[in-house]
Amino acid sequence: MPGQFETISSLARQLAKGSVSSRELVEDAIARTETFNPVLNAVISLNKESALAAADLADQARVDGSTSPLLGIPILHKDIFCTRGVKTSCASKMLADFIPPYNATVVDKLQEAGMVSLGKCNMDEFAMGSSNETSFFGAVKNPWDVHRVPGGSSGGSAAAVAAGLAPMATGTDTGGSIRQPAALCGITGLKPTYGRVSRYGMIAFASSMDQAGPMARTAEDCALVLNAMAGHDPLDSTCSDLAVPDYSAVLDQSIKGLRVGLPKEFFSSHLNDAVAKTVTAAIKELEAAGAKIVDVSLPSTDLGVSTYYVIAPAEASANLSRYDGVRYGYRCDSPSDLQDLYLRSRTEGFGEEVKRRILIGAFTLSAASYDQYFMKAQQVRRLIAEEYQAVLKDVDVIAGPSAPNTAFVLNDDSKSVTDMYMEDVFTIGANLAGLPAISVPAGFVDGLPVGMQLIGTRFGEAQLLNIAHQFQRRTDWHSLTPNLEGLTR
Amino acid sequence: MTDAATVRDVAALARLTISDQDIENVTVEFNQTLELFDALGTADTTDVSPMINPLDTAQRLRPDNIETLVDREGLMQNAPASEEDYFLVPRVLD
Repeated sequence: MPGQFETISSLARQLAKGSVSSRELVEDAIARTETFNPVLNAVISLNKESALAAADLADQARVDGSTSPLLGIPILHKDIFCTRGVKTSCASKMLADFIPPYNATVVDKLQEAGMVSLGKCNMDEFAMGSSNETSFFGAVKNPWDVHRVPGGSSGGSAAAVAAGLAPMATGTDTGGSIRQPAALCGITGLKPTYGRVSRYGMIAFASSMDQAGPMARTAEDCALVLNAMAGHDPLDSTCSDLAVPDYSAVLDQSIKGLRVGLPKEFFSSHLNDAVAKTVTAAIKELEAAGAKIVDVSLPSTDLGVSTYYVIAPAEASANLSRYDGVRYGYRCDSPSDLQDLYLRSRTEGFGEEVKRRILIGAFTLSAASYDQYFMKAQQVRRLIAEEYQAVLKDVDVIAGPSAPNTAFVLNDDSKSVTDMYMEDVFTIGANLAGLPAISVPAGFVDGLPVGMQLIGTRFGEAQLLNIAHQFQRRTDWHSLTPNLEGLTR
Repeated sequence: MTDAATVRDVAALARLTISDQDIENVTVEFNQTLELFDALGTADTTDVSPMINPLDTAQRLRPDNIETLVDREGLMQNAPASEEDYFLVPRVLD
């Protein structure tokens, strides 16, 4: 199988040499998906015919002289991105039959770069979750241990890349939804700065934090894809017009003298001891490469969880008010009147976690609670963002764990709703502050992957990718792959 | 503590219904989540302005030109019920 577990960089070289065709890569990806997906449930739409047709077009474009580095490379999209003519469900019953008449800008940009879309990945419903168990289409299984979660909300994307169904997938990250599943599945995932990548056509969860990014095997691959994803979009008023650097061109810089800040709050009681040891060892690798490790403090880290879980559901409750059963999406049977149509369409169309968050959001936005919760959280958000800004004046980058634990078991009843929210404790700071952050494979605990998180300055993706690449030149955690033998149904 | 009646009122505002079977559990979880938010009260936010956009920048505007971005027919095909160019809903006026 030519494409199995290979990086985009490697596949691009083989495509350029002519030792493999895009059609062969796509046929292989389809075969692997048909073999392993019945167990993994990472892919919820596989578009074989359109993928093969696009692969043939890419092969022809190469014959005609095109040399785009992403030309003919297969890709999977998280099912949160609108794809013209292709079902886009956001893993919800509400949108189970929704067929967008337009593409998300991210989808357009990657298609223009020559990537071949295989289909759509499973996810937590409306991106609300850290385990991928809230999907209307069922939980995704972690390829390293199918009795465990892949993380979420981009759990399908992470599991698909980890299992070699595609060399990369798109993800979105509102509170850690790229980095945490990347960590739990042993792949590399980048959440860019808020505004670096267009949100147009990306189904909205919390608009002041949502950001799209690449999930791939290596930082080098993330750089290649970010080159094509990033940039100004007149269709997203929050999308920055700052010039996009060539992220691949700056991957070979020494990190000697780089100042890496370790927040003591990231190594607190929330963190599993074995994960702490693994991440600490990974940070020693940065030190061995010449980086200087500096102790820093982000005292409001724990407050971030409360802040995030006020702001995100509040924004979600407003964003999801559009699903009313009238213009698109699920409609209940035989509504007696308009109110009945609204109530039953929404109650039947949304899953439990989504309704839980809408309810909390509606409460914190209500006149009686607004100042106590919503306004207060927006103020605390500024304090948290300022803490990050202050620390990032003293150090070049912040390092720590991506998640407090390795992948936990599926259907873990011992975890309360708020226990689950604490899974995001180390990732949500970057979303609240709008900063870029990356998770890179950093080792294993009991056979399960651990991720190291690096958080950078605003629009500092190039530096983050370079540090991650330098780490991956010294380690091989990113090259290890799960044993998929017996993973068929 | 927020009681079940208040939770039901909020649900009604959000156009959601909670069954009699679920209300107790939903209310417990609702209060657990509010307890998580209590920590916010420990932060001194005197004279701190709210942060609405993480980049603290004004949203960019584009020229107000008429453009056709999506096709009407494609949008209407997703309507649960429609007639010609109209969305159908239960009768609103008697």
